[in-house]
Amino acid sequence: MVPLTWYLVLAAALFAIGMFGVLARKNAVAVLMGVELMLNAVNINLLAFWRYTALGELVGHAFAVFVITVAAAEAAVGVALFIAVYRQRDTVNVEELDAMKG
Amino acid sequence: MTFPTLNFPVIAPQIVLVAAALIILLADLMVANKRILGWISLIAVIGALAAVFVCRSDSAAFPLALGGPSGPGTMALADGLGLFASAAVLIAAGLAILLAIERVGDFSRFEKPGSEKKQARSGDHPIAEAPGPQVTDRAGAYYALLLLATAGMTAMATASDLMTIFIALEIFSLALYILVGFNRRDLRSGEAALKYFLLGAFASGFFLYGIALIYAATGTTSLEAILHNIQPMSISLPFRPLLPVGMGLLLVGFGFKLALVPFHMWTPDAYQGAPTPVTAFMSVATKAAAFAALIRVLAAVASYDRPWLLALAALAVLTMTLGNLAALRQTSLKRMLAYSSIAHAGYLLIGLAAGNQLGVEGALYYLLAYTFMNLGAFAVLLAVQRRDENDVTGDRILGLAGRQPLLAALMAVLMFSLAGIPPLAGFFGKLYVFSGAVEAGLAWLAIVGVLNSALGAYYYLRVTILMFMAEPAESDQEISSGKVETLQPGWAVMTTVVLAVLGTIVLGLWQWPWTQTIAQAVSTLALR
Amino acid sequence: MEQLFFILLALLTLSAALMVVTTRNLLHAAFWLILVFFGIAGFFILLHAEFLAVVQVLIYIGAISTLIIFAIMLTRRIMDPQQPRFNSQWGLVGGLAALLFVVLAAVTTRVAWPTTSATLPAEPIKQLGADFVGVYAVPFEVASVLLVVAMIGAIIIARERG
Repeated sequence: MVPLTWYLVLAAALFAIGMFGVLARKNAVAVLMGVELMLNAVNINLLAFWRYTALGELVGHAFAVFVITVAAAEAAVGVALFIAVYRQRDTVNVEELDAMKG
Repeated sequence: MTFPTLNFPVIAPQIVLVAAALIILLADLMVANKRILGWISLIAVIGALAAVFVCRSDSAAFPLALGGPSGPGTMALADGLGLFASAAVLIAAGLAILLAIERVGDFSRFEKPGSEKKQARSGDHPIAEAPGPQVTDRAGAYYALLLLATAGMTAMATASDLMTIFIALEIFSLALYILVGFNRRDLRSGEAALKYFLLGAFASGFFLYGIALIYAATGTTSLEAILHNIQPMSISLPFRPLLPVGMGLLLVGFGFKLALVPFHMWTPDAYQGAPTPVTAFMSVATKAAAFAALIRVLAAVASYDRPWLLALAALAVLTMTLGNLAALRQTSLKRMLAYSSIAHAGYLLIGLAAGNQLGVEGALYYLLAYTFMNLGAFAVLLAVQRRDENDVTGDRILGLAGRQPLLAALMAVLMFSLAGIPPLAGFFGKLYVFSGAVEAGLAWLAIVGVLNSALGAYYYLRVTILMFMAEPAESDQEISSGKVETLQPGWAVMTTVVLAVLGTIVLGLWQWPWTQTIAQAVSTLALR
Repeated sequence: MEQLFFILLALLTLSAALMVVTTRNLLHAAFWLILVFFGIAGFFILLHAEFLAVVQVLIYIGAISTLIIFAIMLTRRIMDPQQPRFNSQWGLVGGLAALLFVVLAAVTTRVAWPTTSATLPAEPIKQLGADFVGVYAVPFEVASVLLVVAMIGAIIIARERG
């Protein structure tokens, strides 16, 4: 049996990689990909905790389904925003979108 | 299969709002005059507010729980705190709808590019002049999204399970991302929405990781179960570090939503780029909902322990100071109010950092006062805003007293209240919050708060001086010759400002019913 | 044996994730992301959450990745010279991310996790279904409102002018 800590370290690593993607990348779609990595890391965490420590109830399972739901909704809204902004400004590069300063 | 105990009054506000949103979406296809949709949404908000009061008055079954076997399965809890925050959110929504009824056309109506139509019109949407297929009016979607966002916020205020809190948080966040980007004409609107979205999604990730860790430590996501069944000391020693780390991550998520420093990066851009009615709504309602949830989460997970209170105090100091300092340097009034909102979140946080009854009561009172004050201030900005612009710079209010004396007087009241001048609501809010801090042994925090209030008073009073003492930017000649559009705030905007000011004054002078309600609400929270 | 699977899968997933955040070509990054999602579905199977593994493939790979690829296609600039992929603070961010990883890993590995004595539910899917209309009915319904918001919002924002 795989020890629980392995899963947790994996999830932590994935979360950190996702965070790096969000904060370091310039293209908005790349940032969204980083966010998806973070959400997947949380899912692994939830299911690992459920499987190893809280098997009685299905809270972890249900919550993971909700996280996937929210991720899908967020991706939809995000992509719509990207397309709208791209049409206006011809870029989705977060550094080039700097109309507001101060 | 156990069916949950469905106490419908608990979710009645949400049901009303969601149903109204769907009706508006359908009606959008059928009616040409979008004003009706605005009125429908206003009626829905008033209905939801009535539902909140009905829930409150049913004191026999108070607090009403919803879902699951009671305790671990309680998903929503209509207790005093939830209902109070819901009422604040609904008041904000009602005022925001009133604001938008006349001006929503400014940013939601588009003619097909190429057809010549002047945009500077006051009042109604002139249907007769615009042939149908050439005009898109997204006002229906605007009202629907606003109502759905309100439903999400009220759901978050009454949620007692981390799962529900998270999903409700996402509902109004998504709706707000869209609403911020609603103005297609202003380049900054889309940019603001994009940045808000990216940072918001990032914060949700942290929020979720925190929930996962708390779930690991306690085996459940229900705040009720955590609060009543699990004492921090009873968690076995190996699990103990998980709770603080989880709470810390949750705090990151909350800090983002409440625009606390250092998670406030999105706020000035989002507030400035969004259409002004959206900014008005967003600045007050999200804080009400998020603070309610934060109060609950702190009670359950952190038990208002001393280290957490000190952490909150540190956050409060950072937030107030940076908010006030940055507001001093802004030329755009919307941006100035954005930083001022950040500062007010700091004052509110002082109430939580006190961790005692008086502090939290003060914070709730301040929330209601802040709802009226801030929304009123943004409403005045909308009143002086040019119809084809999205931002308000200082020159729009120069000499306002000469041109629109009533508006200037109302704005002065709001500015005084925001600055904390007695006997307005803003002063009492700060008084209670600072008293709570002193009572909790955090006198230094109260002192920092008072200093920051003085700092803040500077830019609020500067606005007042600009209104009353300075000369208007446009000379009378230019106005009378028709070169510059005269200032005509519509009746809806004026009504909103008047209501907001009334709320501020009444809340300040006639406090008994409010403080009574708040004291009852807080007493169920088991604070020190 | 199971541990071997885990290690291989973990290597695959983490290296794919690293490629996602470092690749210059966005479309390649999207494909690496799909590989990450497959890896995660594999982990779900290892964790005895088969239903969730299927949902992961269906929604993450089937829907979300497709959305992301659409986004990449529709927001491509034709003349895209050697654009730097990272912004100027990538070193600092890398440090922060490493720090976060260390903190999280340390916190979670120091806990002496008890092995639970409960057994796997015999029919988790059935139980999950019953729970969704039972205990978790409220978040379930609230999630449906979330989907409505996302749908309306996405359509409104992305519609063509006029």
